[in-house]
Amino acid sequence: MKVNPAKYYPLIPVYAIYLIMFLIGKNMTGMWELMAMLAFYCALGQAFNIFLGMTGYVDFGYVAFMGVGTYGMALAITRLVHFKGLGIGLLIIGLCLAMVMSTLLALAVGAVALRLRGAYFAIATIGVNEGFRYLIEGAKIWNGSEGIIFFAQMNEAFGREMASALSTFWADVLVLIIAALAAFVTLHYMRSKIGYALTALREDEDAAKVMGINVTKFKIIAFITSAIFAGLLGAAAWAIKTPYVFPPEVFEIHYTIEAIIIVLLGGAGTLLGPVVGGLIYGLSKYYLAIILPGFQLLIFAPIIIIIIVLFPEGTVGMLKNRVRGTTLERYIV
Amino acid sequence: MALLRLENITKRFGGLVAVDDVSLEIQEGELIAIVGPNGAGKTTLFNVISGVFLPEEGKVFFEDKDITRLPAYKRAPLGLGRTFQIPRPFSSASVRENVAIGAMFGTLADKVSVDESLEIADHYIDLVGLQDHRNKAAGPLTPVEKKLMEIARALAMKPKLLLMDEAMAGMNPKDIDEMVQFLLRLKEEEKMSIIAMVEHIMRAVVGLAERVMVMHQGAKLVDASTTEALTDPKVIEVYLGHSEGD
Ligand SMILES: Nc1ncnc2c1ncn2[C@@H]1O[C@H](COP(=O)(O)OP(=O)(O)O)[C@@H](O)[C@H]1O
Ligand SMILES: [Mg+2]
Repeated sequence: MKVNPAKYYPLIPVYAIYLIMFLIGKNMTGMWELMAMLAFYCALGQAFNIFLGMTGYVDFGYVAFMGVGTYGMALAITRLVHFKGLGIGLLIIGLCLAMVMSTLLALAVGAVALRLRGAYFAIATIGVNEGFRYLIEGAKIWNGSEGIIFFAQMNEAFGREMASALSTFWADVLVLIIAALAAFVTLHYMRSKIGYALTALREDEDAAKVMGINVTKFKIIAFITSAIFAGLLGAAAWAIKTPYVFPPEVFEIHYTIEAIIIVLLGGAGTLLGPVVGGLIYGLSKYYLAIILPGFQLLIFAPIIIIIIVLFPEGTVGMLKNRVRGTTLERYIV
Repeated sequence: MALLRLENITKRFGGLVAVDDVSLEIQEGELIAIVGPNGAGKTTLFNVISGVFLPEEGKVFFEDKDITRLPAYKRAPLGLGRTFQIPRPFSSASVRENVAIGAMFGTLADKVSVDESLEIADHYIDLVGLQDHRNKAAGPLTPVEKKLMEIARALAMKPKLLLMDEAMAGMNPKDIDEMVQFLLRLKEEEKMSIIAMVEHIMRAVVGLAERVMVMHQGAKLVDASTTEALTDPKVIEVYLGHSEGD
């Protein structure tokens, strides 16, 4: 199969921004934490966009995939720490487990909820996150409400120094890599039949069916893909970075809300949108907290509403319309 | 073997019988018109054929295969293509992408790549004369352009049977004549069967179809050659009654 490199040009601005973020964080003192936070929001947007942006379906239970991903990593480390010699392989097992667990949850939720349309789907998913949390707490699964604390196991598996480097540096690098991978998969989907099918079903599900598109199948593909990246993100940004997991913290709906805001700010269904949305969101949140501590939400909410009202297609959506017909068109997707 | 065979189709919405015991056969290569005043049940019949609605009674056969309960998305690859009375473009996608979607998931679904689908799309966009709009978003097109786009999209599916719902509504007489010529050419060149549905553009029906089925209040009133059907007293009464009510 021949591959046309021009198809992948739109990754250039995305990866350039991620590289600049990395370089700023690495070389400017005091900037790493901020860059790590921005990387997290970009990755969150990029991952959620594959479902929310490409299908137009809102999943209010999205954070549950990050939650089970966090558990996946925590379980791998706590259960396998005694097998010496796994080394970094332990993290790989953890990431794989995170992917498997988020896939299984996505299959279970998707098989039922994705048969529902639009608003009904959204309502059904609200319960998923809370339900899953109470299941874990009530049935005392994975240590129930006490959660899993695994600082000691991290130290035992990787040594004190490496464990510290993992949590303060490598976890964030991994988040950037996850964002980059999610961007690649997004563009790959856009350029394949999957992307065309998703566009069709997002715009008009009944017409899409009549055109021969198995809408349920393509929704499930987008749902699982998006869930896998959420699982990876939970494993990296929550488990490796802060080696503990408590149900109320990882099944916290406000991350889902943040993900929705980022996708809408940037431009749902665009490739560059989650990056721009993640940066706008992360930077405003960070600086508002410094300038107006305590009042950031009061300022923040209207700003978000204004942007979304002014640019219903998101900032990148608007930009895309501006550059239509120019050479920039090939890079901004 | 008939390409499409409807056996005693009945479709109700609550107490309303939208399609009432309609049977119909279309042979390969045939071009027939279904006419009838607004509300006669034409669109509903199309929706039953393409799988948007399941009928309460009756059966749908396509190439002798019973497709009555087959999901809509499995019918397109068999060779059923359609346009919509109120155009349903994938608004944010370009005209080219819209038409390519037809090629990707129609009868060629397993055989064409994305790039090949885009090439097929270009061919049909040229054929319907939308080349100046190729890369524009489909949402802002005019209603007539949207209709043409839908025809191109349905043709890119390479259907055996093309269902056209009010393809000529809103067109001026010159465009209608052009569309009629276009459909006749399609039938010859692409060896396609066509069911064209029109509300009351008799100009189109006379030039287009050799056979006409007239529907009224959900039921089949007449199924005959065009001249016979349009001079049938029952048909005249339906249409006179209709124009008085306008
Ligand atoms: N989805 C629907 N729900 C309820 N009634 C409908 C629906 N679609 C069509 N109808 C009714 O069915 C009848 C036939 O409509 P339709 O098939 O659109 O007629 P035509 O296309 O011949 O104008 C009308 O009375 C219409 O109001
Ligand atoms: Mg109609």
